[in-house]
Amino acid sequence: MAGLNGDPFLGIDDNIEKLQYNNNSKEAIDKEGLVVGIGEDSSNNKNNNQGGEKDMAGNSIHRSGSRPQLDLSKAEIQGNSEERDPTILLPNQTDDISHLALDIGGSLIKLVYFSRHEDQSVDDKRKKIVKERLGISNGNRRNFPVLGGRLHFVKFETSKLNECLDFISSKQLHRGGIDSHHWNSEAPANENAVIKATGGGAYKFADLFKERLGVSIDKEDEMDCLVAGANFLLKAIRHEAFTHMEGHKEFVQIDHNDLFPYLLVNIGSGVSIIKVDGDGKFQRVSGTNVGGGTYWGLGRLLTKCNNFDELLELSQRGDNRTIDMLVGDIYGGMDYSKIGLSASTIASSFGKAISDKKELQDYRPEDISLSLLRMISYNIGQISYLNALRFGLKRIFFGGFFIRGHAYTMDTISFAVHFWSKGEAQAMFLRHEGFLGAVGAFMSYQKHGLDDLMVHHLVERFPMGAPYTGGKIHGPPLGDLNEKISWMEKFVLKGTEITAPVPMAPPGTTGLGGFEVPSSRGATLRSDASALNVGVLHLVPTLEVFPLLADPKMYEPNTIDLSDHKELEYWFTVLSGHLPDLVDKAVASEGGTDDAKRRGDAFARAFSAHLARLMEEPAAYGKLGLANLLELREECLREFQFLDAYRSIKQRENEASLAVLPDLLLELDHMDEETRLLTLIEGVLAANIFDWGSRACVDFYHKGTIIEIYRMSRNKMQRPWRVDDFDLFKERMLGSEGKKPRPHKRALLFVDNSGADIVLGMLPLARELLRRGTEVVLVANSLPALNDVTAMEVPDIVAEAAKHCDILRRAAEAGGLLVDAMNNNSLDGSRGNSSSVPLMVVENGCGSPCIDLRQVSSELAAAAKHADLVILEGMGRALHTNFNARFKCEALKLAMVKNQRLAEKLIKGKIYDCVCRYEPAT
Amino acid sequence: MDHLAHVSNQPNSQPQSQISHLALDIGGSLIKLVYFCRYDDNCRDDDELRSQNESLGSESDNSRPVLGGKLHFAKFETSKINDCLEFIHSMKLHLGGFHDCTAPSSDKIFIKATGGGAYKFADLFKEKLGVSLDKEDEMECLVTGANFLLKAVHQEAFTYLDGQKEFAQIDPNDLYPYLLVNIGSGVSMIKVDGDGKFERVSGTSLGGGTFWGLGRLLTKCKNFDELLELSHQGNNRVIDMLVGDIYGGTDYAKIGLSATTIASSFGKAISDNKGLVDYKPEDISRSLLRMISNNIGQISYLNALRFGLKRIFFAGFFIRGHAYTMDTISVAVNFWSKGEAEAMFLRHEGFLGALGAFMSYEKQCLDGLTVNKIPQRFPISVSSAGNKIYCSMNGKSNDNESIECTVYRT
Repeated sequence: MAGLNGDPFLGIDDNIEKLQYNNNSKEAIDKEGLVVGIGEDSSNNKNNNQGGEKDMAGNSIHRSGSRPQLDLSKAEIQGNSEERDPTILLPNQTDDISHLALDIGGSLIKLVYFSRHEDQSVDDKRKKIVKERLGISNGNRRNFPVLGGRLHFVKFETSKLNECLDFISSKQLHRGGIDSHHWNSEAPANENAVIKATGGGAYKFADLFKERLGVSIDKEDEMDCLVAGANFLLKAIRHEAFTHMEGHKEFVQIDHNDLFPYLLVNIGSGVSIIKVDGDGKFQRVSGTNVGGGTYWGLGRLLTKCNNFDELLELSQRGDNRTIDMLVGDIYGGMDYSKIGLSASTIASSFGKAISDKKELQDYRPEDISLSLLRMISYNIGQISYLNALRFGLKRIFFGGFFIRGHAYTMDTISFAVHFWSKGEAQAMFLRHEGFLGAVGAFMSYQKHGLDDLMVHHLVERFPMGAPYTGGKIHGPPLGDLNEKISWMEKFVLKGTEITAPVPMAPPGTTGLGGFEVPSSRGATLRSDASALNVGVLHLVPTLEVFPLLADPKMYEPNTIDLSDHKELEYWFTVLSGHLPDLVDKAVASEGGTDDAKRRGDAFARAFSAHLARLMEEPAAYGKLGLANLLELREECLREFQFLDAYRSIKQRENEASLAVLPDLLLELDHMDEETRLLTLIEGVLAANIFDWGSRACVDFYHKGTIIEIYRMSRNKMQRPWRVDDFDLFKERMLGSEGKKPRPHKRALLFVDNSGADIVLGMLPLARELLRRGTEVVLVANSLPALNDVTAMEVPDIVAEAAKHCDILRRAAEAGGLLVDAMNNNSLDGSRGNSSSVPLMVVENGCGSPCIDLRQVSSELAAAAKHADLVILEGMGRALHTNFNARFKCEALKLAMVKNQRLAEKLIKGKIYDCVCRYEPAT
Repeated sequence: MDHLAHVSNQPNSQPQSQISHLALDIGGSLIKLVYFCRYDDNCRDDDELRSQNESLGSESDNSRPVLGGKLHFAKFETSKINDCLEFIHSMKLHLGGFHDCTAPSSDKIFIKATGGGAYKFADLFKEKLGVSLDKEDEMECLVTGANFLLKAVHQEAFTYLDGQKEFAQIDPNDLYPYLLVNIGSGVSMIKVDGDGKFERVSGTSLGGGTFWGLGRLLTKCKNFDELLELSHQGNNRVIDMLVGDIYGGTDYAKIGLSATTIASSFGKAISDNKGLVDYKPEDISRSLLRMISNNIGQISYLNALRFGLKRIFFAGFFIRGHAYTMDTISVAVNFWSKGEAEAMFLRHEGFLGALGAFMSYEKQCLDGLTVNKIPQRFPISVSSAGNKIYCSMNGKSNDNESIECTVYRT
């Protein structure tokens, strides 16, 4: 079973599950077939009755404690507190802990529920040692630490309440979820169970919930919830708010300290307009009864559509001019320019239906839908603006289920706000628009510790099922991976036309004057695109902002902005081209079994679908950078349980490189200091050629042995490099005119690939730093990504290298990397080793070839405390991301550019050009 | 339809008219006519007029001949413009236009007209009646018409709340600024600061045309008045989602919403499995009327608030003295302003533009007319066919909605 080396610290990787198909869940397969899928992935389902539950009661509360309504009073740790995953006794905990909150509106039920990360902590001595070395102790960051987990967003139609109840019941959400027996496995049905709910239905259906699920509904005030939800989302999610004008979506960075006051317009069945002044400080200042219910209600009567989405979709093909009376209709085609109304301004919605002899059936439903949509959106925009004006509010956030990411609706509202405010006010939208109330209800649970959750604690994922149905459910949930694969197969069969990439037309421009037809109508945006904007929020409370960033607020990890469509197209092609090879590798890594092949196919489909989706709407999952795209691929692999596609390749290359390391070290040790430093840097650059992420390099590998390629590559290193700050760096390291500069205290080396890259490139450089008395921390990925080396693998590599090198050995011992050796030594009472500065390894918190320094592991953050040098190596970490990042300490960015386009774009150079960028502390 | 037919019968009922003057407001759905008919026998003498003029401070030239007569008001559906042309022709109203003073040789006759149709149908008028339309700006006409009515006509403005109609005394010296909301096919909101001083500050496309258009599609009613009449008997709760529907019958008192507040217009049409045929046209009409009236009231109030205007006058053909419409608008203004602002209505609500166009003759150098601003002596009827049935607007409705007045011939 492959699943156990996922890293629990991160919690990203919890799709791990038993592969055995569980007969008990057969009934959960959707008989209707296709439209199953929810905003969640497979791991939190109960289909393990074969002893597959990996860690239940025993090691439940690992450096974490509470979820909603945990009574932590008199909590104590049982046994030795140094013990891994100590059990915490909660003697006063009585109630069931609900992981669920509801917003039951007039037309839709919104669910937000929490599932815990499965905490499959492996026995990881490295971590414990790192903690000791870096002085991290459990729970010193929060009073009661938050549990890592995931927030899921799901919706149902209120008229299909039973489906919702079935869903809750099947996932046992009303009992605190599948994993609730962490707390109370002995008391499955507690009569005191309470679910927080808001919306009118919380009153209306309270009895039904009691009857069907045996839970009481604890009613939360609707406005309170809306505001709490909006505040949480705006503060906690980086790319939550965006503007949408003329088909163009742009994410807005909201400064948390400058959020209030704002106007919140929630468009549900009706519309509430709320002025928000702070947390819990708000006032409903207005509203209108012309809202989503009006659109749907009138739309149903006029078009016979069966649901909201169908009606919305119709509008995309509509032409409202056949039914609305335009200024031009009244003025015989002329503008009424004196008051700024163009001929195409709508003078009277549905006004043409007056004078014509036509009857209802003579109008196209498409036209009716569009006319309705424009009438209502425009009206809401206008009333909202007038209220914003009244209170002097510049920002208006629109939320609620009427919008559902529908481009045309957003354009119309934006246009109205822009038009009436003469550009002074701006309409903004929220990606989780429909879930404000439900999130707010969830937030109303006491003591869940989420209140002070920060942006960097949250990672959003888009597993299959979630993006494709927008959390909408028409059947039982996807039970396990097998069902998910089946669903993917069916989905792709059915939905090829949905996932096929479509060429993007440059958005047309709208005219001035009245409300023209915004450009995103029609082919540019498809209705299926509308609801896909909500993923699963992973709460990873251990993530932190990298403390050495010079200006975290201004920091943008991505160097390449994929909002440039040509750029996106290029990377789309690159990734698509790379896909078959990757699938082969992945399948091989899992033994090439039929099951692996099937998963490989599903992965390929899923990733292609994601790509197609993003080609169509680059902002579908939030602001899109290359780093996000690369990470998405890794996430997608993990989703289909390919935990380490390059495992065997990495192993092979590590072995081959380690075999030649002693020769290299010997060669280096015969050089003078200056030559050695240059050779080391050349070595890092040269070794960086070993990169399975680069197609150009993969072709090399068949041409020679590792050391041959390495030497050839190094010999070709002709200075000056394309970006060459070596002399600056050398001066800092060696000084000039005989003055010896003080060595660095601690260097963080962000390593890239396995094999030659780390062994022949970074390790020798680390060794040089150690020799000079600088502590070295090797920073590696938490989870596998391509052939990148992981923090789990580095200690073994170091241990192997240490066999041939005294410097490395003593440093590794000092850093606790050679655990066994150290134990032996301490038995011997040997103290000689402590004289060396330590070599340590920390994980970075990522599972991607790139790194977003806003979200790094807490151990990296701790390690950064005393660091005065950061070395970023490789394309992913030094070029694709962080090329422009500024640090509080000195930084060295080293990479070989193994992509022609990137070389041109970034450094105006050619493929295989090198970057050695040295930046003093800022 | 019925009242239009009635109006077009007027030539027979008024054979005494001799000199006629005409102005038009050709809107998207209705054509409004204002025309002046002189009495056969001048019932007033000049002295009386003169004293009135003095008291009103209007400058009048004693030497000008004075004509007594009545301003008549008529309307046609724009789609039936031929009826209108025929009416004008039969009344010989088009002959009462004016000749262009700058081109004395020309025998062109001009008629003042406003509204989009003044552009759209200019050729048709030329062809059928041989007259040219002299186009006046729509907003200007609206404002001029409103200012005239508010200043000159006694008991023109009134409030309407809970079925209670109350005439407002408007001090002509304390009229400005006010918000004029003209609800035609669409809605224009105009801030009026004085004679000829105004700005269109807002508007909405949810207006009379929307009520009628959607209403036609949903109920198959043949005309606006029929639809309005239907709404009288309707119950919107059948189709609107009320706060109580969402909250299981209870109020959402915390934010001041009672159980009967409409949360979502037509919101109940969502969840039911009913189709269009299952809803009574009466209920649909009622729901539609409330939706639109309420919305107009709200947007109007927000605009009044924005400019600190206490008085909002609603006019335009959407209202047509319909009690429930006025009630809804008043309630909306009252609700959102928490009683601070007041909705007021005009008895000649539909004819502001046409009146304004008529007034614009005054500005012409030749052969124009001056309407003498005299207080009304006789009750006038603002009635339309709909009024008679369910609006207690004015007990003594006359057959035609005329203003008695005099004009000077220059």
